Amino acid sequence: MRAGELAKETADVIRAEADRIKALGESAPRVARDPVNLPIIENWVEAIGDTNPVYTDAAYAAASVHGGLVAPPAMTQVWTMAGLRRAAEASDPTSQMVAVLEDAGYTSVVATNSDHVFCRYLRPGELLSLRVSLANLIGPKQTALGEGWFFTTRNTWYSGDEIVATMDFRILKFRPPATGAGRADDAVPLAKVQPPATLPIAPDAGPVIRPVVSPETKFFWDGLSAGQLRIQSCAVCGTLRHPPGPMCPACGGFQAITADSGYVVAAGTGTVFSYVVHHHPPVPGKRLPLVIALVELDEGVRVLGEMRHVRPDQVGIGLPVRIEYLRIDKDLTIPAWRPRTVARDHVSGLDDLPEMVVEVTPTFVVASALATRDFTPVHHDVGLAVANGSTNIFVNILTDTGLVQRFITQWAGPQSIVREISLRLGVPCYAGDTLTFTGHVAERTPGQHGDRCLVKVIGRCSLGEHIIATALLDVSGSRA
Amino acid sequence: MAPVRLPAAAIVGIGATEFSKDSGRSELRLAAEAVRAALDDAGLRAADVQGLVTFTMDSNAEVALARELGIAELTFFSQIGYGGGAACATVHHAAMAVATGAADVVVCYRALNERSGRRFGQVSVGAAQAATSAGIDNGWHYPMGLSTPAATVAMAARRYMHAFGATSADFGIVAVADRRHAATNPEAWFFGKPITLADHQASRWIAEPLRLLDCCQESDGAVALVVTSLERARDVAATPAVIRAAAQGSGPSQFTMTSYYRDEMTGLPEMGVVARQLWRQAGARPGDIRTAILYDHFTPYVLMQLEELGFCPPGEARHFIAGGAIEMGGRLPLNPHGGQLGEAYIHGMNGIAEAVRQVRGTSVNQVPGDGPVLVTAGTGVPTSGLILAASAG
Repeated sequence: MRAGELAKETADVIRAEADRIKALGESAPRVARDPVNLPIIENWVEAIGDTNPVYTDAAYAAASVHGGLVAPPAMTQVWTMAGLRRAAEASDPTSQMVAVLEDAGYTSVVATNSDHVFCRYLRPGELLSLRVSLANLIGPKQTALGEGWFFTTRNTWYSGDEIVATMDFRILKFRPPATGAGRADDAVPLAKVQPPATLPIAPDAGPVIRPVVSPETKFFWDGLSAGQLRIQSCAVCGTLRHPPGPMCPACGGFQAITADSGYVVAAGTGTVFSYVVHHHPPVPGKRLPLVIALVELDEGVRVLGEMRHVRPDQVGIGLPVRIEYLRIDKDLTIPAWRPRTVARDHVSGLDDLPEMVVEVTPTFVVASALATRDFTPVHHDVGLAVANGSTNIFVNILTDTGLVQRFITQWAGPQSIVREISLRLGVPCYAGDTLTFTGHVAERTPGQHGDRCLVKVIGRCSLGEHIIATALLDVSGSRA
Repeated sequence: MAPVRLPAAAIVGIGATEFSKDSGRSELRLAAEAVRAALDDAGLRAADVQGLVTFTMDSNAEVALARELGIAELTFFSQIGYGGGAACATVHHAAMAVATGAADVVVCYRALNERSGRRFGQVSVGAAQAATSAGIDNGWHYPMGLSTPAATVAMAARRYMHAFGATSADFGIVAVADRRHAATNPEAWFFGKPITLADHQASRWIAEPLRLLDCCQESDGAVALVVTSLERARDVAATPAVIRAAAQGSGPSQFTMTSYYRDEMTGLPEMGVVARQLWRQAGARPGDIRTAILYDHFTPYVLMQLEELGFCPPGEARHFIAGGAIEMGGRLPLNPHGGQLGEAYIHGMNGIAEAVRQVRGTSVNQVPGDGPVLVTAGTGVPTSGLILAASAG
């Protein structure tokens, strides 16, 4: 038999097997090892770098739109991952399809697409189960990684009898080219992977400088942690003052600031009075260039903060802004500013999401893979990754979903609600690279919970586009 | 207001180390060298010194320096706060000590390895976390990322540009003048290295709207100044520089580098406080000034100083400085030594030494005439100033 005929026969076998597996329909439910729980959430948000307090800060979450702690929607798949020692059910459609393709020599694997729909946010204590069916199989295809087959599974998560989320998950099983063999013309230029240029500061890594807090200034910082911009109001004459102090310079009255008096809660809106674009030297906890704005509040006092969600060239004196509470940790929240669209006076470009940069260190790749409970060796074992045709360990798709969620909710605010995330993976993102997210609002329609926004997201690394994603989320007007 | 007193003191000795980027010796050693040189210049001995004055930012205690110099007894010692705002105030305090009889000979000094040691241009975490009112003040800015001197000045500069239409190129005129003067001063770090306005405009952003060439250099070195009574000054070797006026000043809602909460952010009211005192004490007007050494850690504040000192109305400094007005031969030559952008950053003390040389007529870039010479200290902070002249009246 000639090679071509052999290949055709193999392909026919694979397709027949796929039809058989598809006909099996939904698998038996795979019950999650653990209920949705805070410790696993804490691991995940730490690895992904998502600081949204609705996931971990019980007091904040209680006062939020959720009314209590919730799990990050992008974690849905995490709860039912097989784990390190626990093999997937052999009867699972994914496992069956993988086995067929491996028998045919397509031994390597990468995930290529995941389309999530989140019906609602999950709460600690809920025990999920997953049912999977095979949706389709396409191939063989010549890909940048080698010849392979794409197959898509439909994953449905249940809490009790209720469907809480679905995901169409597409995997490429491929045959890695032999060592030294020529690659397809459209092959990813793996040799071009370069270590990232040294940045002034590791993004998202350095802690900010913490303020010295005095008895007279504590209310201000406590307010920020509680989501309030508190401005000292003289107990005697009512004069507003920032920065605050123990004695009113207007009337000489001593100030007694308690938890609920001695200040007013500002509306959190104002205009830029002056601003700086800081380029050099590095600043702890900040990415450069950094825009810092001195804002004159509508109440008449000035407060300084980082200007976010805007390019430096979009900032100007007089720009309307709204406060953003930049939570550093449970003890410190600092004020920041975001552009405020006034009425219909649309400012061009403000629907761009602010760029987010992730340094993809080996630690990040491994920590995020493990925090998403993905123990596939290509995400933590360099030798195995190379043997599978990669140049290094690379970021897993569950992490990519998490990063997209972090990127869009950093922009939309902690009380935004993510409805859908669809992502397609392009080139791999290897350890040592830098992943830069950009995005824009493609559609915005008023909804029940603020504006429903369709956001387009691109995550680029040195090889090119690693993530091409679309997300649907509700952006609340309050505390956004 | 207290009545204006006649001048009581003069600067009779100046001394300095070389200005470098890496002195290779301790700040205490630098201080001792500069004081020794200043005393030699005055024809005095260490045993004549009764007072020492420095900055709170100086790392050398007065007594540590006294030990090295072999000064057995001190009757006056004082440290002035607020960074470079202390420069002229060291002389102010020394003059007051002399006037009151607290000491007869007082030496002001400042020694720093600012380039090879702690660099002020970097973020100082310690400054933000001091358990002091200054630490609390820094808490309104440092955590949000506003944490370098350049950035704090840039915030005021941006507002100034917005209010008056000044541009980056206007700031560049100051840098070009400083560097042109430094180019002919062999003591200057940038000796022989003038710049053009195009160089300034091509230099990279540090904190927009400030470019690299808007920012002064960082230096290692020390400067010392000997202050004594007018009576004793008659006996010294060099021509005394009579302290015709000396003053400190802070303004409304004053912060250190971040006075962002006052009504306007387009001036330096603390320098206005200094200016009013200087003109009154000296019985002089801006038009009398032969040359001025204006503190130039960042160029925008030179423009604001010209306005606060009354050389031109608010917002018009960019017109005042145009057309070579602040270069040698111009209407008001500024910083003939090259300033802190061109000569060295010795926290303003090298500018006072240059003012003394101008009064003596010994500067390498001597401005002709016999009018008084104005010197200012750090800007954006509580500050100080001096008017020096060859005669008492």
